Amino acid sequence: MRLAFILSEIGSGLRRNLSMVVSVILVTFVSLTFVGAAGMLQMQINQMKGYWYDKVQVAIFLCSEGSTAPGCASGPVTPEQQQGLNALLESPAVSQYINDFQFESKDEAYKHFKDQFSNSPIVDSVTPDQLPASFRINMKDPEKYQIISETFSSQPGVETVIDQRQLLERLFSVMNGASLVAVGIAGVMIVCAILLIATTIRLSAFSRRRETGIMRLVGASKTVIQLPFILEGVIAAVIGAALASGTLWAVAQFFLGDYMSRQYPDTAFISSGQTLILAPALLILGGSLAGISSLLTLRRYLRV
Amino acid sequence: MIRFENVTKVYDQKARPALDSVNLEIDRGEFAFLVGASGSGKSTFLRLVLKEDRATSGAVYVAGQNVAKISSWRVPRLRRGIGVVFQDFRLLPQKNVFANVAFAMQVIGKSRSVIRDTVPEVLKTVGLEGKEHRMPHELSGGEQQRVAIARAVVNRPGILLADEPTGNLDPTTSMGIMGVLDKINQNGTTVVMATHDDDIVNEMRKRVVELKNGVVIRDEARALYTSMIPVVGQSRRLKDASGRESPDGGLPGKGAEGEAQR
Repeated sequence: MRLAFILSEIGSGLRRNLSMVVSVILVTFVSLTFVGAAGMLQMQINQMKGYWYDKVQVAIFLCSEGSTAPGCASGPVTPEQQQGLNALLESPAVSQYINDFQFESKDEAYKHFKDQFSNSPIVDSVTPDQLPASFRINMKDPEKYQIISETFSSQPGVETVIDQRQLLERLFSVMNGASLVAVGIAGVMIVCAILLIATTIRLSAFSRRRETGIMRLVGASKTVIQLPFILEGVIAAVIGAALASGTLWAVAQFFLGDYMSRQYPDTAFISSGQTLILAPALLILGGSLAGISSLLTLRRYLRV
Repeated sequence: MIRFENVTKVYDQKARPALDSVNLEIDRGEFAFLVGASGSGKSTFLRLVLKEDRATSGAVYVAGQNVAKISSWRVPRLRRGIGVVFQDFRLLPQKNVFANVAFAMQVIGKSRSVIRDTVPEVLKTVGLEGKEHRMPHELSGGEQQRVAIARAVVNRPGILLADEPTGNLDPTTSMGIMGVLDKINQNGTTVVMATHDDDIVNEMRKRVVELKNGVVIRDEARALYTSMIPVVGQSRRLKDASGRESPDGGLPGKGAEGEAQR
């Protein structure tokens, strides 16, 4: 009974203050979308880093069947050539620059590729044969990349030597900058949302002071008097958070999934499913912001 | 039921106290009028009973409990034992008669079936049977006050406080309201009524407590609005009351004005 009563109180409160409630929904929606966008950028960076990025800096790709590089004129790498490269890596001349190195076979390369591009249709058209085997090198000093490159580029059986960092670092710094901007905007918008929720709750408490006065006199508990107001703010904020989650999902599904991955098929994008991890965080963040700010407002403006 | 022990209430340090060392006991089932000019402390008395305010000194006991010792989260329980009626009715304009009375039960969590049974019964007690579905603006002032009384007693409080309940009503209607309050009192509820209405007090012949400038100057059983019998010691107490006024200006009534401005 009391629950039904509180629910009907919330309903009438939301109806009476409809325009304010809509503005609370929109402000939390926009602010949490920015929070979520920052989260999505970080997830995208992780996705692009793939299996090796944080472990090694330099990759030496070995020749495979289809290689057209000049070093691969004699066909795919032979076991002898591979042994030679391995020996060269272990020789004092090279090993003084590297911490350690690992060999990635075609099958391992295929496995890591499948993990990274799990959201992309490209994964179905690739077979282990098409992927080159490689040596992955963890440098003592990443700046010494040139030495490795010069030593190995001309070795038989080597297709190419790549410094992964140089390819991605600039892109990542742009993305990190973008997420900082998003977090900054989100911060300002969250302050807006808190103030707006506080004002809405204050208006709501004022327009219903007759009811709350009577509730006080007949001995309604603090919970029964305050809960409808708090839930009003929380419901509005949670609706805003749900809209933000939906927007992020739509961006991942339609913009990244359908458009961007067709434009850049060799880039790994996050899936729409992954963005749903952000949804509970946004809902909790929105709900608790509204709950706390309305609780503080009520303590000042609603005598119990 | 209600006991005041040496209760003093000061709102403003510079003005005289709103209540000054009041000692008073109202027994269970009693009907008492609280009379006195505006600013004499009647409303302060009622507010202290409800724990809307704290006494500056002294102790207020309601149903045997010292209200100063009731923790804030148990104040609602205290108020459930006290019904309150005001001069301006304070009904909810968008709810009908039934819903207005039911509201008092809903907010303390009574079940729907209990509400369905109790509300018509109470409306019958106050003489409003058959008007459950009227809106407040469709009712006369007297009927609105009956709804307010029904709402105040629907949870069967042990005490009913009425703050000038007939202040907005004509004499005939007022007598009707008094009949309702008397009936509620007959059922065992303690009734304390603050009023200016001399006709009603003279008609009812109940206990009368007269306040002046925060001091009890008369407490008589079966009394009239203005005392006909000179009370022993009254003149001395009157002098006490006015003597307290003189330091802050000397003009009689200045303190009362000060309170009215607040």
